[in-house]
Amino acid sequence: MPDSEVTRGGGDRPLPAGAEPDGGAVPEAADRRLHSGSFSSGLSVPDFAACLQMGIEPVALVQGFCVMRWAWYGAGSPYLRGVTPYSTGAGTYVSNYRCPHGFVSTDHRTWGQNYEQTWVEEAWSEGFGSAYQRMLDEATEAGAHGIVGVADTTRHLGDLGVTEFHITGTAVVVRDGDPPPGGAPWTTYLAGQRLAKLFEAGFVPVSVAAALSSVRVWAYCMTEYLMEGGALGWKASTVQEAAQVVDAHMASYQIAREHVRSQLGGDLLHGARMGVQQRNLGEGDEVVECRLVGTRVRRFRDGARLAPPLPTVRLS
Amino acid sequence: MTQPPGDLPKDAARRLEQLGHGLFTSDLSVNEFLLIKEVGFHPLGFVMGSSIYHTGLQARSWGKSQELTKLTEAMYNARELAMTRMEEEAAELGADGVVGVRLDVNYYEWGSDAAEFIAMGTAVKAESGASHRNAQGKPFTSDLSGQDFWTIMQTGHVPQGLVMGNCVYHIAHRGVGQALGSVGRNVELPNFTQALYEARELAMTRMQDEANELQANGIVGVRLEEKSHQWGSHTIEFLAIGTAVTRSSGEVSLPRPTTIVSLDN
Repeated sequence: MPDSEVTRGGGDRPLPAGAEPDGGAVPEAADRRLHSGSFSSGLSVPDFAACLQMGIEPVALVQGFCVMRWAWYGAGSPYLRGVTPYSTGAGTYVSNYRCPHGFVSTDHRTWGQNYEQTWVEEAWSEGFGSAYQRMLDEATEAGAHGIVGVADTTRHLGDLGVTEFHITGTAVVVRDGDPPPGGAPWTTYLAGQRLAKLFEAGFVPVSVAAALSSVRVWAYCMTEYLMEGGALGWKASTVQEAAQVVDAHMASYQIAREHVRSQLGGDLLHGARMGVQQRNLGEGDEVVECRLVGTRVRRFRDGARLAPPLPTVRLS
Repeated sequence: MTQPPGDLPKDAARRLEQLGHGLFTSDLSVNEFLLIKEVGFHPLGFVMGSSIYHTGLQARSWGKSQELTKLTEAMYNARELAMTRMEEEAAELGADGVVGVRLDVNYYEWGSDAAEFIAMGTAVKAESGASHRNAQGKPFTSDLSGQDFWTIMQTGHVPQGLVMGNCVYHIAHRGVGQALGSVGRNVELPNFTQALYEARELAMTRMQDEANELQANGIVGVRLEEKSHQWGSHTIEFLAIGTAVTRSSGEVSLPRPTTIVSLDN
């Protein structure tokens, strides 16, 4: 999926015109704040202390937003309940399931399908990527070398039919350090002692990596209510339908991994976090989404050996 | 004990006077108490301030995203009043500062649109007798725990004050036509992006302005909170809050942390 390259930090993603209230990349209020004489830091005090110890000094709390109109129905219509496979999925993963009952009635789906919803994945990349790019713009504006302690939230505001992407982090400069090559600050979810340990191990953060996979599940058999009464076939189809959902989960993990791998460019992924969410959108209509994030890291020297830890025993 | 300022309640004055006789109250844990003693401070007493504010609704236009300046001011002034009253109690005790400050908002049944803002913390004083008051000659305030207070002192920074900025914002409703059009492409809504962005930036800039007034070098532990309080989901208060610090020595005297392995089960 080429669109998943958004988290590389290049300045190639144009911002929509409406997001630039004063012609610049950041709003007026942010502009004043970023050039203020005092710093701001979203780090906890222990992380702040650890960063100072490493020679990393906070400049400003930076953030980026993107609010998008959001729906799970795109190319596939909710009313498309045919008696043949829909094959609306444009992605790499499509899987068909045939109902063992054959034709029962028009309410009974004879075909089921799992497919990757590339248009949801692309929209997620666009939303996350725009918010991320705006955070980078704020950091660049503040003259930062990197951004530590990145945190991102995605909220679906149901009554508005919108999804909000919000990314924050603490922009930092490295004392006596050089600006990053190419000008775009490096970024990482890590901060404080965890970042110090990464350096000790001989790695530097490059950027955050993030992707979402979205798999639609059209269950094939809608006859549970017809078959109630203990017929064997009812139990068999329920088990098979569960297998279809399990397939969708496995596919979503796999697709998310592939998306993130395509962003790594040979680097390693550190501190990966994976979250899976299943949404029920209607009868026999599910979406399985897997979100995978982590920090892309690169080796710059051999790792220092960890000093032997001090064994402790609690006396209480 | 000197005469308390006029606006402190009589009971508070009596409590503070008792604290003046060497007895102290504090909500610090034992570990926090020891760490605060370690950096040369002594707790004087538990101090608090409150204010009850009417935070009713301000007229909003249904389809427009805008800041509700009256509500912003009300929410800000209420917190500021609670903080000032807490600072007065601390000043009455001769404190250098207040640590572990908590700012809470409570709603009660007896006042549907009334909110009580409470600020409380533990007043501390330097054992050396040197003044650690801030640039405005007032006791410093900070929401740092005892552990965080100790750590920040090791980095060569001293707290100046709890700083905050807020912005109450009304997010436009979408028209019926737009809401029904939710089958289709997912695209950015630049107006919403801009509204939420602006609201948060306003809160953060106002916080930064407070820090500049205290002649601080920076703000640590900034938190961005958002709450709808009792206004419904379309009206949100964005609150940025953190502890302003100044660099006193520039030396980070924090020892290198030791890695440990726990042998407990």
